[in-house]
Amino acid sequence: MEVFNPNPTVFAPTKSHRVAQFAKPHSLWLNDADSDQEGEYEDESNEVEAIDQDEIFELIRSISDPEHRSMSLEQLAVVSAPQITFDLKFPDRVTVEFTPTVPHCGMSTFIGLSIRVRLLRSLPERYKIDIKVKPGSHQSEHALNKQLNDKERVAAALENPALLEVLEQCLSTASLNA
Amino acid sequence: MRFPGHDDRAWHVAWNPTRSILASCSADKTVRLYTYTSSASEPNTLKFNYNTTIPTGHTKTVRAIAWSPSGKTLATASFDANIGIWEQEDSGEDGEKGEWECMSLLEGHETECKSIAYSSTGTLLASCSRDKTVWIWEVHPDADFECMGVLMEHSQDVKCVAWHPKEEILASASYDDTIKLYLDDPSDDWFCAATLSGHGSTVWTLAWEPEQGQYLASGSDDHTIRIWRRLPGQGELKFQCIAVLEGHDRSVYSISWTKAPPYVSQQAAADGQRNLGWIASTGGDGTIFVWELTLGDNEDAPHIRHSIITRIDAAHGVHDLNSIVWCPRPGMEGTFATAGDDGHMKVWKVQRTEEVGK
Repeated sequence: MEVFNPNPTVFAPTKSHRVAQFAKPHSLWLNDADSDQEGEYEDESNEVEAIDQDEIFELIRSISDPEHRSMSLEQLAVVSAPQITFDLKFPDRVTVEFTPTVPHCGMSTFIGLSIRVRLLRSLPERYKIDIKVKPGSHQSEHALNKQLNDKERVAAALENPALLEVLEQCLSTASLNA
Repeated sequence: MRFPGHDDRAWHVAWNPTRSILASCSADKTVRLYTYTSSASEPNTLKFNYNTTIPTGHTKTVRAIAWSPSGKTLATASFDANIGIWEQEDSGEDGEKGEWECMSLLEGHETECKSIAYSSTGTLLASCSRDKTVWIWEVHPDADFECMGVLMEHSQDVKCVAWHPKEEILASASYDDTIKLYLDDPSDDWFCAATLSGHGSTVWTLAWEPEQGQYLASGSDDHTIRIWRRLPGQGELKFQCIAVLEGHDRSVYSISWTKAPPYVSQQAAADGQRNLGWIASTGGDGTIFVWELTLGDNEDAPHIRHSIITRIDAAHGVHDLNSIVWCPRPGMEGTFATAGDDGHMKVWKVQRTEEVGK
């Protein structure tokens, strides 16, 4: 496999401070180790609870980088909490920006797809997610953004068994560091 | 009205043009068929019954479906790159209804097939794919199909194909942000006769003005719908964008154009205008719009007017809507069906009071 960034800069991860309590119970990616914290977040009200930047970041920070599998997207500074923004008019519409480690990174589509799938599986159905690379961070920025937000192409990609297998591997770490 | 749905995202709905059947297809690889009846006591109400599920055998998502004009044949377009041709077996002597059988499997596309459409006479079938091609198939008896042309005009994924309602003109819409129009050269092959540029992103959906085909509408990822007018001219195709409909705030995934009920057209005529029908549109914002289009009586300087006569927010709850289709059958004016990411199909009617009943 072609190596796009042989020597990435590694950043220290932040400490996880809370568990994504809104994730669906059948989500594969939240393990039982979190269960002892569940009590803190019980909420008796039926109100739709807004989800904040940190909670969404919590879901994606520990996804593995496809090229450097032992490292997380957070460690490589591909994702960060401030890069998650909410539409002021529609709080259920979220834009997640990510920063490829190098402008020619051929794995960017895959990274964007892994973020999308992680959020698709974890966030309540009402959320509509747009995924974008940080402006100026990738040579094919426009093409990348277009592909990552084409629901038909995303749906077709997820019916590709080979791609899905690698995706599951990268997502399987997504709660272990939490 | 709402029905037991698919197990996964519903992508498309199609009304049978001659029989009381409505079909939907899904990422769950099946097609579901519903029958409907109108009751004499409540002529405004349709009663729907789940009829059957065709498992299809497609190995991936069934993305689109199309009925032949005769209503006898159903075509399925799948992400597995194949097209299925389905017909119902004759009912047996015991009166039991026949099963839907795969009569033919059209292979040719290299990647996901995205859309499929029969020409108005039913003699031609068009399909398109992420492989950037549009295929034109000639329909022969006994579910036999012959490929008449492979058009490689788009530089990207082709999302939608739509035949002109009267003539053999095909339109295709693409991820390359353009629309292309094709004609058959009697002495040669099918060729691209026009390219329409203007949309700022992927063109997802197309709909011809159903009466004369003088207009083409397109819906895009740029959140707008554009109306293109065919300019007069012998033997050539030229179109001009004459209106941009703004209202959606996410991608427009589906539009459908129907003629308005008689009371609407008559009122327009009384006001010195020509009614061009209604366009229903929907998409990633989960909202349905119904637009009324009218043309001033000055044909030399056509000015098209559009107004929103109905707006339905959260039509499938929090979910995206992927398909919206007017019922083409006489007496069913104002009725349309939608399909959404919730796996459900819904049927709606624009009431005369301009109030929409579920």
